Amino acid sequence: MRERQGVHVKRFLFAFLTVVIGILVVGGSVVVLHARQAEPAVLEAKVVGTASTPLGQLPHATVELSIYPQSSSTVPGPTTGVNAAISNLGWPFYWPSTTIQLPAHSLVTMTVHQYDSSTTVWNAFFASVHGTVDGTASYNGKPQTRIEPNQVAHTFTIHQYAESTQQGFFVSVPMLAVAANAKNEANGYPKPQDITFSFVTGDPGEYVWNCEDPCGSGYVQFGGGMSQRGWMSGTVTVV
Amino acid sequence: MSIDNPPTVEVDEPEEPTNRPRPDHELRAWLSRGYVRKILALTIVFVLVIVPIAWLVIHFMNLSGAPASAIMVEIERTMFVFTLVSSPLMAITLAILVYSLVGWGRVSGDEPPMQESPAIRTNGRAVVIWIAATSILAGFLVVWGLIELATITAYANGSTPPNQQPHAARAIDINVTGQQWLWTFQYPDQGNIQASTLVVPVNVPLYFNVTSKDVVHDFWVVELGVKIDANPGAITNTGVTPDKLGTFNIRCAELCGLHHAYMETQIKVVTQDQFDAWVRDMGGKRTV
Amino acid sequence: MSATAVVHETRDVPQPRQHGKPGGFLRHTSIVTGLVSGIVLAVVTYAIGSHFFVPWGTQNADFTQVGLNALIAATYFAWVIGFMAGIGALAGPIRWALGHDLTHDDAEYMAGKGQGKWRYWKYTTDHKVVGIQYLVMSMVLLGFGGFLAMLIRTELGATWTEVFDPNFYNSIIGTHGIVMIIALIIVVTGPFGNFILPIMIGARDMAFPRLNALSFWLLFAAVPPLASNLLLGGIRDGWTVYQPLGTQAPIGMVGYQVTIIIFAFSTGVASVNLITTSVTMRARGMTWNRVPVFVIGVIASSIMGLVWFPMFQYSQILALSDKVINTSFYNPVHGGSVWLYENLFWLLGHPEVYVVIIPGTAALMELMVVFLRKPLFSYKVAVAGFAGVVAISSIVWVHHMYMTGWAPSSGYPFMLSTELISIPFGFLVLVMLGTLWRGKPWTRLPMMCVYAVIWDKVVGGITGVYLSDVPVDQYMHGSMFVVAHFHYMLMGAGLFAAIGATAYWFPKMTGRMLNERVASTGFWTAFFGFQLTFMSMFVAGLQGMPRRVLQFDNAFNISNWLSTIGAYIIGIGMLIFLYAIITSWRHGTIASSNPWGGKTLEWQTETPVPLENFPVLPVVTGDPYDYGVPDPYGPIPVEDTREPAVTR
Repeated sequence: MRERQGVHVKRFLFAFLTVVIGILVVGGSVVVLHARQAEPAVLEAKVVGTASTPLGQLPHATVELSIYPQSSSTVPGPTTGVNAAISNLGWPFYWPSTTIQLPAHSLVTMTVHQYDSSTTVWNAFFASVHGTVDGTASYNGKPQTRIEPNQVAHTFTIHQYAESTQQGFFVSVPMLAVAANAKNEANGYPKPQDITFSFVTGDPGEYVWNCEDPCGSGYVQFGGGMSQRGWMSGTVTVV
Repeated sequence: MSIDNPPTVEVDEPEEPTNRPRPDHELRAWLSRGYVRKILALTIVFVLVIVPIAWLVIHFMNLSGAPASAIMVEIERTMFVFTLVSSPLMAITLAILVYSLVGWGRVSGDEPPMQESPAIRTNGRAVVIWIAATSILAGFLVVWGLIELATITAYANGSTPPNQQPHAARAIDINVTGQQWLWTFQYPDQGNIQASTLVVPVNVPLYFNVTSKDVVHDFWVVELGVKIDANPGAITNTGVTPDKLGTFNIRCAELCGLHHAYMETQIKVVTQDQFDAWVRDMGGKRTV
Repeated sequence: MSATAVVHETRDVPQPRQHGKPGGFLRHTSIVTGLVSGIVLAVVTYAIGSHFFVPWGTQNADFTQVGLNALIAATYFAWVIGFMAGIGALAGPIRWALGHDLTHDDAEYMAGKGQGKWRYWKYTTDHKVVGIQYLVMSMVLLGFGGFLAMLIRTELGATWTEVFDPNFYNSIIGTHGIVMIIALIIVVTGPFGNFILPIMIGARDMAFPRLNALSFWLLFAAVPPLASNLLLGGIRDGWTVYQPLGTQAPIGMVGYQVTIIIFAFSTGVASVNLITTSVTMRARGMTWNRVPVFVIGVIASSIMGLVWFPMFQYSQILALSDKVINTSFYNPVHGGSVWLYENLFWLLGHPEVYVVIIPGTAALMELMVVFLRKPLFSYKVAVAGFAGVVAISSIVWVHHMYMTGWAPSSGYPFMLSTELISIPFGFLVLVMLGTLWRGKPWTRLPMMCVYAVIWDKVVGGITGVYLSDVPVDQYMHGSMFVVAHFHYMLMGAGLFAAIGATAYWFPKMTGRMLNERVASTGFWTAFFGFQLTFMSMFVAGLQGMPRRVLQFDNAFNISNWLSTIGAYIIGIGMLIFLYAIITSWRHGTIASSNPWGGKTLEWQTETPVPLENFPVLPVVTGDPYDYGVPDPYGPIPVEDTREPAVTR
């Protein structure tokens, strides 16, 4: 009888061990895979004072981004996580990071230096400026509400996370392209277009952004970098 | 028991057809068996358990503000009715299942049981009744479904359900474009204004022309019970009349890539005046 | 039924000339030579291809690596061809081309005679070896799919963040889906259709033993392309791989397409084998009235697979062609149609779910009889049910496409056909309930699985009724409600039935008794976890949660937390069950040849089953359901002057 009990205890122990091993395998995989998929480091907006807006005095923060057509020795492109393996494919990318953090209830001014040439945007909606304080963006100093669809290189489009109770947040600004035959300067890239726009953030929330201009690979050029965090898509966290 | 000693049962010897027990005696005899009564009782219990599920189902569907259209009301009514009409068949299946575990005895142990069960190879009456019952149920579901599909197709095309105020205005055409990973809406009749959230007046029929710029998406206006795939290279149509003010969800229901989970926007059902004001703000005009 | 009294003398059949040692080339081949040969050919193909045809760095303006998809596809096909050549699959055709016939010694070698355990690692034709190989392969695939499910549920349970990148999440849900579908297609027909069915019909092997080995090793070769997709960027699409989204995926997608193309050949070959064996190789006296119902179920499932699997294969061939040689079958920009893909896919996609559920149901019907000691209720209704399901399953596929806008008025006829299929399916439930009626269950694990499966069928069935209605589908399509429904059918009714069949035939296949205490603990833990997981998922779907999303509205948080906890419980239960299988296989009590007291032919032969199954082929004189005592409530039996069915 004792022997049988011993067998039962042994079986229970080994069954328990099997379960423990299973949990460790799953848990370990989650941790490793999560780490391997890290997105670029967070780019925080710099608060530079206050500004007066139609909604009153709000803190004023700035963010500076660049869009490069491909990586080079001076600008290596996203190399964190899975992006390390695909950094040589010549995809365009936002630099220095696609993980953006903005302060809540603030006026945010974004400056984008755009170095890439154009691909015609499919949906003319995205050739117009949406969601900025006065409905315009400033292209090399000149405020405009829209640009020509065939002059769009990329867009910066913020839209809502899946959370419907979050405050709606929609900002979309087309990025003016450089000429197709522009000459490269010393750093390997042509002279950029400078686009500046401002918008007001609301309550804290989590949002995603992506480019809505077909500049990737594959079917209708929405594959490749267009579908990859770190390149042409990322997250915006309002804290 | 064995084949040589059949059990003795008090029954008239069926020598001639006239001595055969009459059918209602047979039914009464069958109903007098203990297990039959218990199973029927269990069936009734299970029906009573299943029926409230019909309400529970509707409750969960309504948690975010549904129903907001006649179509959604029809959908909920169908779920409710289907649950109720299916409950007898479900209940009797579960009753037999449960009774089988407890009511006819159980054998456990390592050796195959010596006791054997009654050798019932078939029961013509049970087969016929079951087939008839399932066919009637299936038939009911089909007929209900066909009529209902025709009804909501009519609602989608703008017809007014009974007990509702007739629509004063013409349908509003909305071009819905799905693309990776946003919905954009265009109102051709209001001066071609474009927006990323849908704003519509209450009690006015909406007619959606849905397409996609890239891969297959699925335009789902959740609380209004409307859904249609957004296919590249084609325009698909659906329609609905919102009859409740509020803000509801539009979600993409077909995996479309990286940000499929974030391809959400909102539909704001507002009064006619608020809608006209919004149209003016967006730079459009009423062209009714 | 047992061996008949008549013994046939074996006469010496004149043998062809023996070329070399018995087995010929197959003496030198095994999984090792297959792997080596497959990997070498793949590497060589990749090297030659990338050197001469796809110089690194060549890109189109839209950044497509020119020819990279073609190169990867060629590499995968080279792997398959190399593996099959290396394991000896080509030995047969080459032998035929050389004009050498198989001798009896060759055939015995190929069936694994005298090779001990090593025969499981070779191209062995013995159906019992192939059955065990399929059993292990199904368990490996289920384990891999289950692992991915744990990752998925972890992501969905961590509602406050993205645990995985959305691309990776999309890939694991797609891979989980296709791995599980493949595993479930083979989980009953593979192990038990191969091992048990030929013995059950009183045959010595299957009709086409070499095709039997071929079907297994093709499946084996098809798995690495699929599994490797996660290392090559993932498929980033659901298991249905809707086009044109699939053409945006990185090179991992090519692995999926190659896998399906090869797997379709494997199932086609297996279906042909099973049908021919069941129709032509039944023992003398086994008329169609006496065929065990499991065989009918396997035939039904094989017919559906044989007819419809090519549709899936064609859909993937066209998709591969779109990816590799730039055709535009599914590319609307250049004249293709997304609806073409959807139709081709669902033409298989629907019959496939019956391919999964029918064999399991038939196996449960088979074992219920033994554990209730009463005949199967209305065998004819069961056969009619299987036939009805096979027939109608071909004309319901559009119910997966109600919301596509393809042909809006097709909703009417397909709603009709979808409701109609519930009638023959109801026949099968009737047979199971009728067999339970007034039966005294022997509450061993195989029998308890029957109760679990019928409950899951009831829930899956009613939710299927909701989904078959077009207006309701207008709310439910693409939501988690659909996911919960098909998990109830495929996992609750399909996988749990396979677990019942495994517990039932374990003593015959492995020669040992399954440790029921541990196995039942595992099974019921998984069953309880299953109810928690998928009932909560129904709620999430009713609330409006779409499927294939990794982040969602806060309103769905509670359902997802409960589902994740339930999923972890399933995982724990399945691990315990796996432990029971492995430990019983290695150290379990040695089983007698008929531990359950079954009357079908497989229980009338020894355990372990000898190479040729029976010392003398049996002659059948009655059906296998001759259990039970006269019904005390029935009419007074007339004296039975027929021959007794059983001669013990």
